[in-house]
Amino acid sequence: MRFVLRRLAFFLVTLWAAITTNFLIPRLMPGNAALSMMARYKGHVNPQALHALEIAFGVNTHQSLPREYFTYLGNVARGRFGISLTFFPDAVSREVLQALPWTLGLVGVTTVLAFVLGTLIGLVTAWRRGGLLDGLLPPIFVITSAFPYFWLALLSIWLFAIKLGWLPESGGYDVVTTVDWSWAFVGDVLRHSILPAFTILVTSIGGWILTMRNNTISVLTEDYVRMARAKGLKPWRIMWTYAGRNAILPNLTGFAMSLGFVVSGAILVEFVFNYPGVGWMFLQSVENQDYALMQALFLMIILAVLAAILAADAATAMLDPRTRDRT
Amino acid sequence: MRRVLILALLVGLVATTWASFGNASGSKARSSSSVTSVTISNEQGTTWTCGFNPFNPSVQPFSFGPVYEELVFVNGLKSGATTNWLASGHAWSNHNKTLTFTIRSGVKWSDGKAFTAADVLYTFKLLKAHPALDLNAAWSVLKSVSQKGNKVVFNFKSSAVPYFYYIGGQTPIVPKHIWSSIKNPVTSKDSSPVGTGPYKMGNCSPQVIKYTKNPNYWQKGLPKIETVYYPAFTSNDPANQQLASGKAQWGSQFIPNIKAYYLSKSPDHHIWFPPLVNVSIFINLKDPILSNVAVRKAMAYAIDRSRVSKIGEYGYEPPSNQTGIVTPTFSSWLDQNLAKKVTYNPAKAVAILTAAGFKKSGGVFHTPSGKALSFRIINIGGYSDWVASVQIIQSQLKAVGIKITAENLSSTTYDADVYNGKYQLAYDGNESGGPAPYYELRQLLYSKNSAPIGKAASSNWERYSNPATDALIDQYGATTNAATQQAIIRKLEAVMVNFVPVIPITEGVDWYQYNTKDITGWVTQNDPYAKPAAYEVPDWGVMLLHLKPKG
Repeated sequence: MRFVLRRLAFFLVTLWAAITTNFLIPRLMPGNAALSMMARYKGHVNPQALHALEIAFGVNTHQSLPREYFTYLGNVARGRFGISLTFFPDAVSREVLQALPWTLGLVGVTTVLAFVLGTLIGLVTAWRRGGLLDGLLPPIFVITSAFPYFWLALLSIWLFAIKLGWLPESGGYDVVTTVDWSWAFVGDVLRHSILPAFTILVTSIGGWILTMRNNTISVLTEDYVRMARAKGLKPWRIMWTYAGRNAILPNLTGFAMSLGFVVSGAILVEFVFNYPGVGWMFLQSVENQDYALMQALFLMIILAVLAAILAADAATAMLDPRTRDRT
Repeated sequence: MRRVLILALLVGLVATTWASFGNASGSKARSSSSVTSVTISNEQGTTWTCGFNPFNPSVQPFSFGPVYEELVFVNGLKSGATTNWLASGHAWSNHNKTLTFTIRSGVKWSDGKAFTAADVLYTFKLLKAHPALDLNAAWSVLKSVSQKGNKVVFNFKSSAVPYFYYIGGQTPIVPKHIWSSIKNPVTSKDSSPVGTGPYKMGNCSPQVIKYTKNPNYWQKGLPKIETVYYPAFTSNDPANQQLASGKAQWGSQFIPNIKAYYLSKSPDHHIWFPPLVNVSIFINLKDPILSNVAVRKAMAYAIDRSRVSKIGEYGYEPPSNQTGIVTPTFSSWLDQNLAKKVTYNPAKAVAILTAAGFKKSGGVFHTPSGKALSFRIINIGGYSDWVASVQIIQSQLKAVGIKITAENLSSTTYDADVYNGKYQLAYDGNESGGPAPYYELRQLLYSKNSAPIGKAASSNWERYSNPATDALIDQYGATTNAATQQAIIRKLEAVMVNFVPVIPITEGVDWYQYNTKDITGWVTQNDPYAKPAAYEVPDWGVMLLHLKPKG
C-alpha cells in the first residue's frame, strides 16, 4: 500500500513540474506570436487588421506572468485549451482530437506490433542460439534500424508505389473516397497505412529484438531453467513460460514508455507520407508560435508518458515480486 | 507456438487481400470521375481546418473565387483589365473621390435567396464594424458607403483610384441574411459557406476539400467541371508526385528539375511561370555605410542577374531589371532607356567605388575612414533556391571587392528581422504586388508603409523615405488618366535606378502546371485571362469557369 501511495505522490509531483515547464518553455522561445502572424499573412493583411486580430487571438495581452500562470493552470484543470492560431478559428481540442486517431492508429499499432514481433523473434533466436534464424534475423534488423528513417521511407515509396505501383504513395486515404464507415473507406485507409507501417516496423524492430535476445540469454543461465530441463519439460514450454516470462520484465518499462510517446506522433512519417497525424501539427505549432496548440500537445505527451510509466511500474510490481518493498 | 505463427500468417493474408479489394473500387472511381472533375495540387504545408471564412487570411484562398465572388474581376496579367462580375458597371465621379457600382440583377445565393445591392452594402459595413476583417485596409481610405437602389456608392476621403483593385476585385461579397446573425464574424468558422459563386462546398475533411457545382450559378451553362478536389499536402514531394502521375491536373508547385520530373512524363504536361513580383536585395538605408548611394550603385552593377536566374532559380524566374518593372507582364510600363542604364558591368562597379573615395585593400574596398565594405545578408534557410541565388551573388560581389556573409535563418526569425529593420542586407520577395507595377513600387517606396528601426513595417522594409516620391505616389492615386499614370511610373522607375533603394534580382513567378489530357480551357501564355496559380484569389475561381472536359 505504501508502495502505491509513494508512486502516486511521485507521479503528482512530476506532473506539476512538467506542467509548469510546459508553461514556461514556449514563453522563453525567441520571436513573438504577433510577428509570426504578420509573416504568415504577408501581403494580405494591413497593420490595423493585424492589430485587431491580435486582440481577437489574445496575443500580447500584457498580463503579468504569475497571473497568466494561474489562468493557465485553471484552464488545464478544466480542459480548456483555447483557440489555435495555426488552425484559426478551430479550437485546439478539436484539431488535436481530429489528428489523434490517425497517430494512435498508425504509430500505436506499429509500436505494439514491433514490440510483439521483436520480442518473439528475440526470444526464439536466443533459444536457438547459433542457428540459422539467429544468424540472419538480428543482424538484418539491427542494420535496418540504423537506416535513416526518411531514406528508407522514400526508398520504399519509390519501389512499391512508383516503380511497382502496388501501394499508394501518400495520404491517409484516397482523395476521391468519401469519408464514412463503409468497407471501401476502411479498406482504403488500411491500404494507405501499409507502407508507412512497414517502414516504421522495419526501422524500430531491431531494438526490441536485441534487448529481448540479451535478456533471454542471461535468463537461460539461471538455475530454474536448468531445473525445468532436468524435469524433462518440452523445450517450447521452457522457452515460453520459464525463460520468456522472466526475460520480458525489463522490456516492459521500455514498452510502456514508447507507448506513452506514441502520442507525440512520428513526424518524419507524416512528412514523407503526407499522413494527417499529430507530429506534423507539433512542428507547425512551433513554427507559428501557436502557444495554445503547443501546450496542449506537450501536455498530452506528458500525461501519456507519465501514465504509461505509472502503469509500467504497477505491472512490474504485480508481475515481479522482487521489485516490491522489502518488508 | 507454431499454431500462433500460422494464425498470424492467415490473418495477414486475409487483411492484404481484403485491402486490395478496396484498391479495385478505388481505381475504378478515379478513372470514371477524371473527365468531369479536376484535382488541384497545391502544397500548403498543413491539413485543412474545413473553415471557409473569406475574411480569415489563412483560409480565404479556399472559398474566395469558387464560392464567394468579387464585384469586378481585375486581371493582374493584363495590367488591370477589368471584367464586370457581381457588378454590371462602375464609374468614377467627383474628381475620382466617388466610385459607384451598379449591381447585377438575376444573381442568386447558393441557398436560393436573391442577391442584391444590400448584400454589398452589408459586406462593407461589416468590414467597418470589425477592423480585423478589413484585410485590405479599405476603410483607411473610405469615408462612407451607401446604397441607392441597385447602386452602391463609395465615397473616399481623398481620391484613391488604385483602391479600385482592393474594393472591387479583392473583397468577397457575403450574404446579409446569414452574416447578420453571426455573433462574432472574426472567429466564425463558416463551415458551410453560402456564396454566389460557381461551386458549393460539397464535403470537407482534413485531407481533402470537395467542391460541387452550383446549379443556380448566374453565368448560365457554367461551370462545365462538376467537381473540384483540393487535397491537403504537408510536404512538396507527394504533391509533385500526384502531378507527375496525372492524378492531379492543376499544379501550383515549385518542382526542381521540372523537365525530367514532370514534362517528360507525358506530352499533355505543360507549364508556364508568369512573372509577377520582384525578388530583391533589400538594403537597410539607415546603415551608415549602405546609406552611401555609391555602394548601392556598385552592387547593382556587380551582379549578373541572368546567371543568378539560371543557376539559383533553374531558369524558372527571369532576371529582373533595376527599374523594378516586371517584364514581360508589365512591359508596357517599362522605360527602356532607364532599364538599359544598369546592366552587369563589374568594371563600372569598381569605377564607381574608386571615384567615391573607397580604397581597395586585401581584396576588399574600405571607406576613407577604414571600415571594410563587409555586410551580412539574411535569407530564409528553408528556401533552397534563394539560398543558392545568394551564394552566386556573394561570389559576384566578391569579384568587385565587396564582401557579404550569408545568414540563413528560420522564417520566423527572418521575418522578425526584416519587419523590424534589424539587418544590413536582406534577400526578400515577399511583397504581394498587384495588377500593375504601381502596387509593387508603392509597397517599396511609400514612406507611410514603413516604420522606424525596431518597429514592424508592413512593407518598405528598407526604410526609404522621400516626400517628393510620396507626392508622386499620391498623385497616381488621384488619376484615372493612363498617360498621367505612365509618366508617374517612369518617374518612380528613375528613383529605382538613380537612388537604388533595393536591387531587384529575379522576378518571382506564379508556379503553374497543367495537364491537357482530359481538360481544356487552361490559362496559357497566349491567353492569360487570369493569374494561373491555385492560390491566387479570386483568379482561380475565374479559371475554374473556363475549364471544360475535352471532346
